[in-house]
Amino acid sequence: MLYDLFLVLPMAIVVIGAIVLMLLRFSPWLSVINRNFITIVILGISLCIDVLHYAAAPDTFVFVDIFGHGFVVDTFATLFDMMFLGGAMLTLLINNEYFKSRNYFDGDFFALLLFGVFGMMILAHANELISAFVALEIASLSIYVLVGYNTANPKSPEAMMKYIVLGSLMGALFMLGVALVYGETGSTIIGDIYQHIASHPHTNHTLIAVGGLLMIVTILFKIGAVPFHAWVIDVYHGAPLPVAMVMASTFKIALFAITLRIYLIDFEPVYAVWSQSLQIITALTLIGGSFLALIQDNIKRMLAGSSIVHAGYMMIALCSIGAGDKLAASAIMFYLISYFLSSVGAFGILSFLTAKEHKHLTFEDFRGFGFRHPYLAVMMTIFMLSLAGFPSTIGFMGKFYIFVSAIESGHVYIALLGVFVAFVSIFYYFRLIAMMYFNKDEGKEQEFAFDTSTTLIFLMALLTVTGGIGMGLIPYLPSADGFMDIAREAIGSLVR
Amino acid sequence: MNQTLLLLIVILPFASAAIMGMAYLFTSLRDERIYSFIGIATPVAVTLFSLILGVQMLSNDTTFVIHSTLFEWLHIGEFQIAFSLMADRLSAVMISFVSLIGTLIHIYASGYMRDDIGYGKFFAYFNFFLGAMLLLVLAQNPIIMFIGWELVGLASYLLIGFYHQESGNITAANKAFIVNRIGDFGFVIGLALLFLAIGDKGFGFDAIRAHISLVDPGLLAPIGILLFVGAMGKSAQIPLYVWLPDAMAGPTPVSALIHAATMVTAGVYMVARFDFLYELIPSVGLFIATIGIASALFAAIIACMQSDIKKILAYSTMSQLGYMFVAVGLGAYSAGIFHVFTHAFFKALLFMGAGAVIIALHHEQDIFKMGGLKTRLPLIFATMLVATLAISGIPPFAGFFSKDAILVHAFAGGHIYIWAIGVLTAFLTAYYMFRLFLIVFITPAKTAHRTTEVGMSMKWPLAVLATGSALTGFLGANEAYGGSNLFGTFIHLGDRVHHVDHSTEYLLGGLSVAVALAGMMLAYLRFGKGASEPKADTPWRALAINKFYIDEIYNALVVVPLRYLSILFDRFDTLFVDGTINLMLLGYRGAADAFGTLQNGKVRYYALYILIGISLLSLAMLRMTRSPL
Repeated sequence: MLYDLFLVLPMAIVVIGAIVLMLLRFSPWLSVINRNFITIVILGISLCIDVLHYAAAPDTFVFVDIFGHGFVVDTFATLFDMMFLGGAMLTLLINNEYFKSRNYFDGDFFALLLFGVFGMMILAHANELISAFVALEIASLSIYVLVGYNTANPKSPEAMMKYIVLGSLMGALFMLGVALVYGETGSTIIGDIYQHIASHPHTNHTLIAVGGLLMIVTILFKIGAVPFHAWVIDVYHGAPLPVAMVMASTFKIALFAITLRIYLIDFEPVYAVWSQSLQIITALTLIGGSFLALIQDNIKRMLAGSSIVHAGYMMIALCSIGAGDKLAASAIMFYLISYFLSSVGAFGILSFLTAKEHKHLTFEDFRGFGFRHPYLAVMMTIFMLSLAGFPSTIGFMGKFYIFVSAIESGHVYIALLGVFVAFVSIFYYFRLIAMMYFNKDEGKEQEFAFDTSTTLIFLMALLTVTGGIGMGLIPYLPSADGFMDIAREAIGSLVR
Repeated sequence: MNQTLLLLIVILPFASAAIMGMAYLFTSLRDERIYSFIGIATPVAVTLFSLILGVQMLSNDTTFVIHSTLFEWLHIGEFQIAFSLMADRLSAVMISFVSLIGTLIHIYASGYMRDDIGYGKFFAYFNFFLGAMLLLVLAQNPIIMFIGWELVGLASYLLIGFYHQESGNITAANKAFIVNRIGDFGFVIGLALLFLAIGDKGFGFDAIRAHISLVDPGLLAPIGILLFVGAMGKSAQIPLYVWLPDAMAGPTPVSALIHAATMVTAGVYMVARFDFLYELIPSVGLFIATIGIASALFAAIIACMQSDIKKILAYSTMSQLGYMFVAVGLGAYSAGIFHVFTHAFFKALLFMGAGAVIIALHHEQDIFKMGGLKTRLPLIFATMLVATLAISGIPPFAGFFSKDAILVHAFAGGHIYIWAIGVLTAFLTAYYMFRLFLIVFITPAKTAHRTTEVGMSMKWPLAVLATGSALTGFLGANEAYGGSNLFGTFIHLGDRVHHVDHSTEYLLGGLSVAVALAGMMLAYLRFGKGASEPKADTPWRALAINKFYIDEIYNALVVVPLRYLSILFDRFDTLFVDGTINLMLLGYRGAADAFGTLQNGKVRYYALYILIGISLLSLAMLRMTRSPL
């Protein structure tokens, strides 16, 4: 019992921290920076305990007498917890300057963010469909509110409304899917469904297939797959930058946590039913996302469009799992890490700049950026190269593993399409690089400002580069192989 | 303890380079005393450590080798390359004199670079070079050696172009870098072949030595030649020598340290390091010796006609490197390394003396505008005299013993042509060196010039080096000259031994001394009383003055055709490749715009897309689930 309590401590700390922050809503002696700091400390403590858990590699259900088999603590979930916590901490640290420069980040913002992280953590630990739904909604509701946080800008509440309307629609579909699955199997525990299908080999599992489809569609909506993508660009554009960062990185990782758990354990026997549809959606997502990214003039919208493409890449690996490729799951995890590093880095530079210069961040604003901010421009270039999948960056390795998984499972056409879309993506990523370096403007070179944000961005740029090199080029810093080993280990704990 | 020392020897210079580089780049700290303190303390410490290691080598037997591993660098499957260092007798000798001479040149540079804006930067680069050179020498496997090999190239590039405000210097730096690239390409291919052949058995020098007999003999020759191509670039041999004279654009301490005493000898060291490989392929060795002796003669001829003091010394370096390759090519590895060792002393001294003269005459480099400096710069005169006698091969100065050992070896090995050309080159060496010496110091000046006083920090390193140039020869004197070849016995390489009678040896030695004296005599007759710049009045002279037009020939053969090829490709690129891409982009963009109109900002449409998507998926599902799973 006490050990169970220790195992859930990271989540408990986060949710208690959220409640405490909420209670301190009107306390006059807490400035934005202090609140940010407290939030980071809460996340940090939680992360430390999770690291302890990760080292101990637990694999057990907690509070069995209360939750039954609904709540699991394993390496997979712990690793994802660490990614959420680390991601949220990085996001908050990088945005330190941004919080200072805007006046609408009050106490609730950080409390809501903590609730969101709490929801994501539960999502990673959920071993039961209803709990997963509840966790998903906890996370989603927090994100909805955060998206509309900048009430001064009409775009922000508008984005929130769009997101909330469509999100509730999809939530209902998810619930319907769960009900259909329950209707046939009589259980919502992940693993029981697999047992049911395995023990009834000659039945027509229509209900499970349709229910599963509805659940998957919900997840496809959340990660922004075409044709469920339409909200992505509007919402990213309207959301305050830190929230867009959370959505692009941490929240997306959380969605893949539950996807992998459901998909890898439960639906293994019925992969074949969805295989073709999933491939078509993957192809649509890749092409549609690149269309949308191509036509944007605003960097934030471009990154939003490109996040659709990146979701498409991860879906390539999802298709490969369907075709029985066991490495594909770790390829997804690796891709998540790589995408996290480069997109948070890129968004981080945007937030750093908007904090300082109050610009809209169109491509035009980056004219001559390489001369005004030479160091930041180099980092931005690294992130763009990584997003485009250029060799010797972590983004290249991520795409490489994905394409390998696709080819090994026989989806050569999808891999080719992926390569083609990567080729197209060079257009919109390099457009920014070209803008920064090939166009001069009269602005003077500015000093490199050393603070938390820039130091962290620098660190992430460094990881982006070292992570793209297969071996330990720099001792004691994780390389591509190191990241991949971690991902394999986590997936290994899942598939028993 | 020893392991730590070994690591410190390599890490310290890099660390101090990093500290000084950061301080120079990010702070406004410009106090020369701080930079010179850090910059000089590091090589001093490294020298002490090297000597400690060297003394231990003396008191232990030849199998005593110190290994030290910093971290594991590469790990691919079963195969791993560790970042490890190894000090055996050969590398201990190398690091001892590299760090010792490095220290002296650092001290000299602290005077030479005084009041330069880039003082801190210079010492950061200089320490960086020292670290890279020591890494090259101490590498435990060829991969790490290659890293050092490239890093010294980088340091050389940075220092040649140190005064980057002048475009000529940048051109020289680029030239050095690009020409070295060609050599390094050969080197890396050679390493790759060697790796393919026996890399699976471990790739440290020990492992390669143990398994070298497993390599297909037909493959050994290409490996040996390709590795030597790397040496051609780094050590300025025909045909890749063209960068060395231009490299004199760097500050003089750079020329002394990098382009005379240490980096350029890396090729010789590399061949000696691979002595077990070259022992199996004597024909490649003969090829190396031939290239070496050709370079020696060729450079000596050009040096006779030059008028820039540093260029003369550069060609002389190339010429002496040729001797070293004769030695290692013919299997006299210890003699080759011994010449590297003595040459480091007198050539560094010559460059530093030349640098002192240049500073004293306010950056004048043309020897025909100097003259009669004997009385005004007495210490420099005396030390330069020692160095000139040493390089000309006059006993008992160092150059005599090392050069004589090489020539005797060539003669005894039956390579009479190589020996004869070697003697001829020795004659030319004495001639052009005394030509330089006489014109600068003895011959009365045609125009009066003011000289400034040279600081103490630039003077006493010269005195130390002069002592070295005078005395180090005895370390390698063989029985015929009353020594016992201490140097060769100590470094213990797999030399090919030829027996030579003492009488023959005296004869050969006497002949080279006579030839050297004749060269000096000729120089005195022509330049002792008065000197004028060489005129291109006969075709042969024009040829030598213009360095045999090699630069122009390379330009016409390589650079110009490449340029036209590039222009052709550029046309093709803009017309066809860009055209295709632009056309594709146009189509893609149109499609994207059409797709973008779906993005109309209205939630009801968005919901509609979702519902259409779900409906289509359900239809597909209906089709799929009709058959049992």
